[in-house]
Amino acid sequence: MLPWNYGFHWNAGTLIFLGAFYTVLVVVATTVIRAAFHSRRELAAHHEESIRWHSDFHDLPAADRVCRHVLTGEFKHRECPHAFDCRECETHAKLIARHPLAPPAEPEEDILGMSFPLDRFYHRGHTWVHPEADGAVTIGLDDLGRRLLGNPDAVRFPALGAHIQANGTAFQVTKRDVQIDVLAPVDGAVVATGSAAGDWCLRVKPDASGEPAFRHLLRGSEIRPWLQREMERLQLALTAEGAAPTLADGGVPVADIAAGYPKADWDAVCGEMFLRP
Amino acid sequence: MDKDFIARGVKRCSTGRFLLWIAPWAALLAFGLYSAGLCLVKGLNQTNMDNRFPFGLWIFLDLTVIALGAGAFFTGFLLYILKLDELKAVISSAVVIGLVCYSGAIAVLLVDVGQPLRAWFTFWYPNVHSMLTEVTFCLSCYLTVLAIEYLPIVLKNRKLRQVPSFLVFEFELHKLIYVLAGVGTFLSFFHQGSLGGLYGVLRGRPFAFREGLAVWPSTFFLFILSAAAVGPSFIVLTTHLVEKLSRRRLVRQQALELLGRISGLLLAVYVLAKTIDTLVWINRTSPESGFPAAQYYSWKPFGTWILFAEIVLFGLAPALVLLAPRLRARRAWLVSAAGLACFGVALNRFVMTVQTLAVPTLSFDQFVSYFPSWQEIGTFLAVVAYGVLVYSLSFRYLQLFPEERELKMAQAAEESSAELVGRY
Repeated sequence: MLPWNYGFHWNAGTLIFLGAFYTVLVVVATTVIRAAFHSRRELAAHHEESIRWHSDFHDLPAADRVCRHVLTGEFKHRECPHAFDCRECETHAKLIARHPLAPPAEPEEDILGMSFPLDRFYHRGHTWVHPEADGAVTIGLDDLGRRLLGNPDAVRFPALGAHIQANGTAFQVTKRDVQIDVLAPVDGAVVATGSAAGDWCLRVKPDASGEPAFRHLLRGSEIRPWLQREMERLQLALTAEGAAPTLADGGVPVADIAAGYPKADWDAVCGEMFLRP
Repeated sequence: MDKDFIARGVKRCSTGRFLLWIAPWAALLAFGLYSAGLCLVKGLNQTNMDNRFPFGLWIFLDLTVIALGAGAFFTGFLLYILKLDELKAVISSAVVIGLVCYSGAIAVLLVDVGQPLRAWFTFWYPNVHSMLTEVTFCLSCYLTVLAIEYLPIVLKNRKLRQVPSFLVFEFELHKLIYVLAGVGTFLSFFHQGSLGGLYGVLRGRPFAFREGLAVWPSTFFLFILSAAAVGPSFIVLTTHLVEKLSRRRLVRQQALELLGRISGLLLAVYVLAKTIDTLVWINRTSPESGFPAAQYYSWKPFGTWILFAEIVLFGLAPALVLLAPRLRARRAWLVSAAGLACFGVALNRFVMTVQTLAVPTLSFDQFVSYFPSWQEIGTFLAVVAYGVLVYSLSFRYLQLFPEERELKMAQAAEESSAELVGRY
């Protein structure tokens, strides 16, 4: 195997054969070492939440990865290439520049009996962000998110001062022995915590301010088509997880949807709706 | 009990039922390990192999599972190198199948060689002129590659990915998986070929001896082609089997049809190449060795039927079915053709191993029949049981079929619509 071994000859056949063998070994070892080195670097930079989101995003069904401009009918088909982070999307910037969203006529949108105030931004994982006068933002569960979790069995908020990342875990809720990660809508440091059943959950000092900091979040006229799609997803998730077939008959979702479907696999339903596949 | 380890949103049977399923396979594995242990402790006298018949059931098993396991390298090649994204749906399952096949083959080789403690000799004192050396090197390297490819699948387990370092390493390793797929293709290409070449260079066994290109006999290329052809078929077959056993839809029909089409195309090329090779062998290679080819088929039960079965029944017929879009679109035809193709490659490896050794080639030689001992059969069954166990555990705890949940939702939507239409 090596020049000092018995039977080794310096000829072309031996060199080609062993050369190929060693090259393969080096390539395989380099690949693993490179992956380990990059992992170490990412862990040191605390990028695990971002990596978890990117991994989860690619595990979502294709129908759930659609661009926000599909929801509004601007595109027929388009998969979001930025894992719902429109801050880095050139297409989104161009479309917004071409067709700026009209300011809302009403202060609040009533969608299928649920209240969606239009003075705030919405994350597709069912949280909202409300900019406050002092530069901080409050974060809460939107009305559908609240109805999905009903009265939580337990809530685990991050410690004060902890840094949360957009699309990373904002806080954890336990419902029917299922732990649900609620995704953070913005990057920032937690300055106060509320309660999942209250008006708001977290108060955060965002890393960035102004419109670009919230560019990835839904707003105004985008809310209604998004929520209609979310209700379809919920119906499907409930049906798939053991609830009886449901029909969109104009009814209003109850305050505690989980209580209405005691046999449904709530882990799967919430994983689907809160974008944690 | 083990719910936290099962992927979110997929249904698996209860722990008790799963234990009931794996118990008989575990018992079979235990029996097989006992058989293999006897062979290792007492020696190869426990088998019915001898100096006249040194290759038996185990080498047949090795060649067959390595050919069937080719789906791992070939699917990886199609997905990561040729970018056929539809195959994402089956790549994890293909990797598990490949890992099971290759690790099973190497385990049996260790028993067959008889002195596993000296296994490292083959690396330290390699005979660089031997096809077997290339096989050993490539098999060991490829098994390492498969184990590394399996690692991200394991680390993606719901519970394990809660550990940040596992999550990040899985993500980073997966980004480089195309490198491993390329290396796997390179290694598989050569060891599949070398396994075939091993028979093609047997000048003393004119039944197997073949001419070829430079140092490579035609069997070198035929083995590569046949393995690449049946690898995708075996994935179709196993996926269908798992769908039936688990009673779930796991993969879209289009992905299976694509595998079937690729398999059919390669199988057709293989059948053509095999036919030409057989004609050259009948008309030139064999007579030049002093044996009319018909003589080999005068020894029963190895009549000409076996040649017909290998080329037409288990080669041409499934190739034609897999190449016909309307037949391929029907699951029963697709799976039957894939099954025939897999059986065909097993028959080919049986012919190359057992028939080659059974037919006499010297004037004082006799036709030798061989039947494996129970220890050989036990070891063979251990590999089967090991494969079922590893696959079952992987299917239960790992995400082998990423579209499973999506298909479940689609099925629920269809059923819901049908029920509501019926109600109103």
